[in-house]
Amino acid sequence: MKLFSKPWLWSWLAAAAAFAVTAALTSGRGGGELAYAALSFGAFAAIVGLGQMLVITLGPGNVDLSIPATMTLAATLALKAMGSQPGTAFLGLGIALAVGLGAGLANYALIYLLRLPPIIATLAASLVYQSVAIWSNRGLRIKPPTGLADFATGRFLGLPNVAWVGLALAIVVWVILERSVWGRWLLATGQNLRVARLAGIPVELVRAATYISVALFSALAGYLLASFSGGAALNMGQEYLLMSIAVVVIGGSSIAGGDSNVPGVWGAALFMFLVVSMLNSYGAVAGLRNVLTGTIIIAIVIAASTRRNRA
Amino acid sequence: MTISKMLLGAASLAMVAGLAQAESHMADTSGKRIALSNNYAGNSWRQAMLQTFEEIGAQAVADGKVAAADAYTTSENQATEQAAQIQNMILQGYDAIVLNAASPTALNGAVKEACDAGLVVVSFDGIVTEPCAWRIAVDFAAMGKEEVDYLATRLPDGGNLLEIRGLAGVFVDDEISKGIHEGVAEHDQFEIVGSVHGDWAQDVAQKAVAGILPSLPDIVGVVTQGGDGYGAAQAFNAAGRDTPLIVLGNRQDELTWWAEQRDANGYETLSLSIAPGVASLAFWVSQQILAGAEVPKDLTVPFLKITQDTLDDALATTPEGSVANVTYTLEDAQKVIADAG
Repeated sequence: MKLFSKPWLWSWLAAAAAFAVTAALTSGRGGGELAYAALSFGAFAAIVGLGQMLVITLGPGNVDLSIPATMTLAATLALKAMGSQPGTAFLGLGIALAVGLGAGLANYALIYLLRLPPIIATLAASLVYQSVAIWSNRGLRIKPPTGLADFATGRFLGLPNVAWVGLALAIVVWVILERSVWGRWLLATGQNLRVARLAGIPVELVRAATYISVALFSALAGYLLASFSGGAALNMGQEYLLMSIAVVVIGGSSIAGGDSNVPGVWGAALFMFLVVSMLNSYGAVAGLRNVLTGTIIIAIVIAASTRRNRA
Repeated sequence: MTISKMLLGAASLAMVAGLAQAESHMADTSGKRIALSNNYAGNSWRQAMLQTFEEIGAQAVADGKVAAADAYTTSENQATEQAAQIQNMILQGYDAIVLNAASPTALNGAVKEACDAGLVVVSFDGIVTEPCAWRIAVDFAAMGKEEVDYLATRLPDGGNLLEIRGLAGVFVDDEISKGIHEGVAEHDQFEIVGSVHGDWAQDVAQKAVAGILPSLPDIVGVVTQGGDGYGAAQAFNAAGRDTPLIVLGNRQDELTWWAEQRDANGYETLSLSIAPGVASLAFWVSQQILAGAEVPKDLTVPFLKITQDTLDDALATTPEGSVANVTYTLEDAQKVIADAG
């Protein structure tokens, strides 16, 4: 069975099952509403998840823990600069992406110049980013311009605009990974850094580009999330730290690197939203909900990895 | 009249007289140094709290009431880190520590060390159970119950409620939720048909509500814990549902939304939360203790309530993107102490 050997299949199956179980409770009425909400909120997890996936693909020890702080800083500075004025959406986007570029360069500089392990470098850098976000605006929530807020919460052809953005990014990442020489370089670097270097791949360039990409993705996600929810908050990125890693692992990418999986990230992002909705809808208390979420995640990861080993 | 009753009467008379003269008998605190030990700064409420403390502290230093009022915040919201911070404060020779604690019990050892070293420790908001410390607590359960009491006056026919809780596993979340459930038990025309955790954050609440809404019947009211009402309103709006009566939590974006709805369709609700200025109350209480005032170990601070009538005033005084606040004065602190005595 070729289909069953696809590691991304399991996250999509799990998402579909969670959807069916929740929709059953609504006797069909709320199915569309639920799917729409899942696509809206899943998009943010998918965008940061795609970035985290690229970093994890770089091989053991590579992970970006500064995603929440980068999101918060980019969103805070962008919304402050826009100051709720109409027509400033692209200025805000530019500032958010500039923050992302800066954060990515800074992260890579710490890793390359100081030879810090990425976990330490990005964690330390995230404390700095978070502090700058606090210092720059002291946690005040500034509303996004109306046009931008309408875009972030709006829909096109029946799907949320943020989901279109997430989908477009996923396609771009997939094409780069599967069809371009950059993608081959990234996978080769993740599979064996030393061999890749000896084969003439510019591994440091690949690593730099990857750490910059994840920061850009985080900045974009922060900018969209703040526009979607009515302003940047200092704790807005918090849940995306573990979320970004979870969607990569559930999506069937190898945590050891060198093997990435774009469709799985989207399936896992939808699943992470739907599983919480399902347990909430059935009235599970917080403790039970966390235990069940953990158990289900472990089950999916086992299912996905066993299939991969056999294949 | 028995002897004991006479003695009691005399004692209370003496106490009243003592209170009246307290001001003149008080020790001078102009040489005393007070530190704020704070465990978290990552949301608008905590930022407003720190700002209030800094303002009131700077003023008190300028007025010669105390020698120093410094604020310190730990970076990781860890009890171990805060315990180390308290130990540093002891070594730095502070006379009093005003404490918003990461844990009600995990800091007890460090707090005891501070007491043994002769420091006054006043905990507030996040209080500690160590007996030598003072506690300025909010009756969170009463706050939860008041929400349901209010809904009962507005919706006498009752109906389905959605509960938005805070951060799972935190004492405050359990207390407010307990009060809400007590209220629902009393007003049995209401039923809580759904409960989600919004982590006191608009975006998290919005996400959780959007996920549970499709499976819920018609909702007449939403009971909240603060910082989550605007997100809930957004989720109802996105799902194309009628906006229910959402109890709000004093955030400026919630109040702005309320005023817009009121102007558009006469929307009425209630907003309540603890004012971040409770830090200023804790500051003055510690100053009073240093001055030699008799202060009971457990004090209660009222929550800040905004009604339809006070909405415009509250909006006018709340900075954009912040949270409604009151700054407590020395007189307020003396009144809270007298009420508890």
